[in-house]
Amino acid sequence: MTAWRKWGRGLAVFAVLVASGLAGGARAENAPAEIKIGHLHAGSGPYASISMPVYDSLKLWVEQQNANGGAFVKAYGKKIPLKLISYDDQSNPGTAATLTNQLITQDKVDLLVCDSGSVLTAVSVPIAREHKMFLFDPTGTGAAFFSKDNPYIALLADPVSTVWPRYLWEFLKSDAAKLGIKRVALLYATNDFTGTQANSIRAALKEPGSPVEIVFDQGVPTSTSNYSVLIDNIAATNPDMVLELGYVGNDIAFLRNLQESGQKFKGVFTLYPGIETNVLRKNVGAQGLAGVFSYVTALGLTLKPEVGMTVEELRAAFEKAYGEGGVEFGWNAIAGHVTGLVIGETLAHADSLSQPDLHRAVFGLSGKLKTLVGTFELRDDGAQIGELTPIGQFDATGKLGVVYPSDLATAKPVLGAP
Amino acid sequence: MPRVLRDFLSVGLPVVAIFALLPLVYANQLLLFNFVLFLILAQGLNAIYGFTGYLPFGYVGFFGAGAYGFALAVMHLAAPPALALLLAGLAAVLLGMILTPLLRLSGAYFAIANLAAAQAVYQVIANPALQDITKGPYGVSLASVFAPKASYGAALLILAGVLALVAWLRHGRFGLALQAGRDDPVSAAMAGIPVVSARIIAWLISALIAGLAGGVFAWHISVFYPETAFDLSTSIFAIVFTLFGGAATLSGPIAGVILLYGLYNVIGISVPQYFQLIYGALIVGLVLFLPRGLASLLQRRGIDVP
Repeated sequence: MTAWRKWGRGLAVFAVLVASGLAGGARAENAPAEIKIGHLHAGSGPYASISMPVYDSLKLWVEQQNANGGAFVKAYGKKIPLKLISYDDQSNPGTAATLTNQLITQDKVDLLVCDSGSVLTAVSVPIAREHKMFLFDPTGTGAAFFSKDNPYIALLADPVSTVWPRYLWEFLKSDAAKLGIKRVALLYATNDFTGTQANSIRAALKEPGSPVEIVFDQGVPTSTSNYSVLIDNIAATNPDMVLELGYVGNDIAFLRNLQESGQKFKGVFTLYPGIETNVLRKNVGAQGLAGVFSYVTALGLTLKPEVGMTVEELRAAFEKAYGEGGVEFGWNAIAGHVTGLVIGETLAHADSLSQPDLHRAVFGLSGKLKTLVGTFELRDDGAQIGELTPIGQFDATGKLGVVYPSDLATAKPVLGAP
Repeated sequence: MPRVLRDFLSVGLPVVAIFALLPLVYANQLLLFNFVLFLILAQGLNAIYGFTGYLPFGYVGFFGAGAYGFALAVMHLAAPPALALLLAGLAAVLLGMILTPLLRLSGAYFAIANLAAAQAVYQVIANPALQDITKGPYGVSLASVFAPKASYGAALLILAGVLALVAWLRHGRFGLALQAGRDDPVSAAMAGIPVVSARIIAWLISALIAGLAGGVFAWHISVFYPETAFDLSTSIFAIVFTLFGGAATLSGPIAGVILLYGLYNVIGISVPQYFQLIYGALIVGLVLFLPRGLASLLQRRGIDVP
């Protein structure tokens, strides 16, 4: 190589370095003073119990990020403080719709996070789509939200309702059937969350060759607070196992009424004891939970996250921040933390803050991001399919052990307990 | 100039014009849409309460019937939005006809029976057994007709029609007959006014207005659940706005909506707990000291309130 060529090549490398350095400097100079995250929460009303833990946990994550100088934003090559703008929709869908619009059109937020639960999420979905704004959906699992023609949504923390009960029906058709469960009663609250799960379970148990038959199948309004007559009606059909799917209030009422009724079934499955364990334990007691089957969320698993805190670290931070008398730590608090983690990773990977780039960054995390709830994995329509919801059973001391699938099992299922 | 036309041109048309122009300077169109929606509902409630004295606490039943009338027309008949809107109004009128016997009651009994009827309709719509027809409790999605600008325009047209109608009720023979029946039904009947049939017509007009409002709401929001369409707070808001401004006037319900829904959006969103306190105190104060609304402050001084 001649001296001229060496000089030429060196000059070219120098020019590229200077240009990229200038570009990086320019990017950093153009960086906004803060990244605005728009969010809705329900401070009162029927959805407050599932919404407030998500809000408190997301707020905690933002505070932690800001304490370290903000979140790293790849588009500007530096850390930028986060600003959480969260309005209280008071569990009112009409107000939630107006406030979603407010966040987009008036506050001009960079990232949009909707409220918890399907009813309040539903109103934000078309508005976000209309404004071509990517919607970070923490726990709105309604299957109708996700379609291939809508690229403006991703479900972050809960598995989509159709996927959630997979292990339950597998357990019923395999291990439970071997233990003598042949007749099942299905009682569910008629809302998007539990109704969709009931549909999935029904379809699976009615497949040809299923060893389990459904002998009682009834939906009740989500506002149901007295299950006494329903429990007697179920008992009259002589099922081996009762599956009760409801929100927190439904499950508390059902388990209390079951204790009072004196009716005994070989097995009882309810949805929330494994999700909001503290709340259920306080309201039903360890005795009321003994022998009950439920989903096991990250609260009952020991998953090692590659990003963010472990469950115990989060619990400690959450209880330190909100203390006694505050919102109970449970699955929804974890969901709020996961929402924060996904937002953080999105900012760290997105080439710009444009909505298509945010979409690409979120979907780019699919299958790679491992948090305290397991692997973050999205279907191509934005539905969450990656997290685990094994089946567990409470023992007499109120401890929840995993009974299915066998590779995660820490206990064996016991029927007729206690 | 006839008084009907004068009232509409001086009060109704400016309101419609302002809400037609506001989207050009304020981007939160959904908030503006909600204002228009409550302006329609408050005037619809005015048509029955202001002119007959019947206060329907379950007014949201007609609104929900309209929302689901629109949704069913789109889902099952593939109706275009304009036709679906007409069917939404028709659904509410049909419900109004079924509930006509409630007009035999009066006062608190009518209000409670009407509320129970609205809840019954809600339970029927949300019944999982009707999932194939209404989608039951799992909500409807009308993404195929989602058109926020067109639905906002339709809401403005409905508002213009409703304001013209209420202006006519205030000054037309039919409206005066209704008011006579409201103030003294026996004397009115003796004077040859068909009190019962006039009340029924006012009841169905009121149902039609709420049905159209429900239909345009369904079109604008496109994804909703039964509890959204039959949310009791819709009734309460419409009643409070009408009472606050002054029933049986054109401008009273408008003032009620602008002031109170404005207050709701300013205070209610930033500090909802104080808002509920303020709202509660306001309603108590209103009932105790100003039962005929803000308009009565001017009317007492002999000022004609349109």
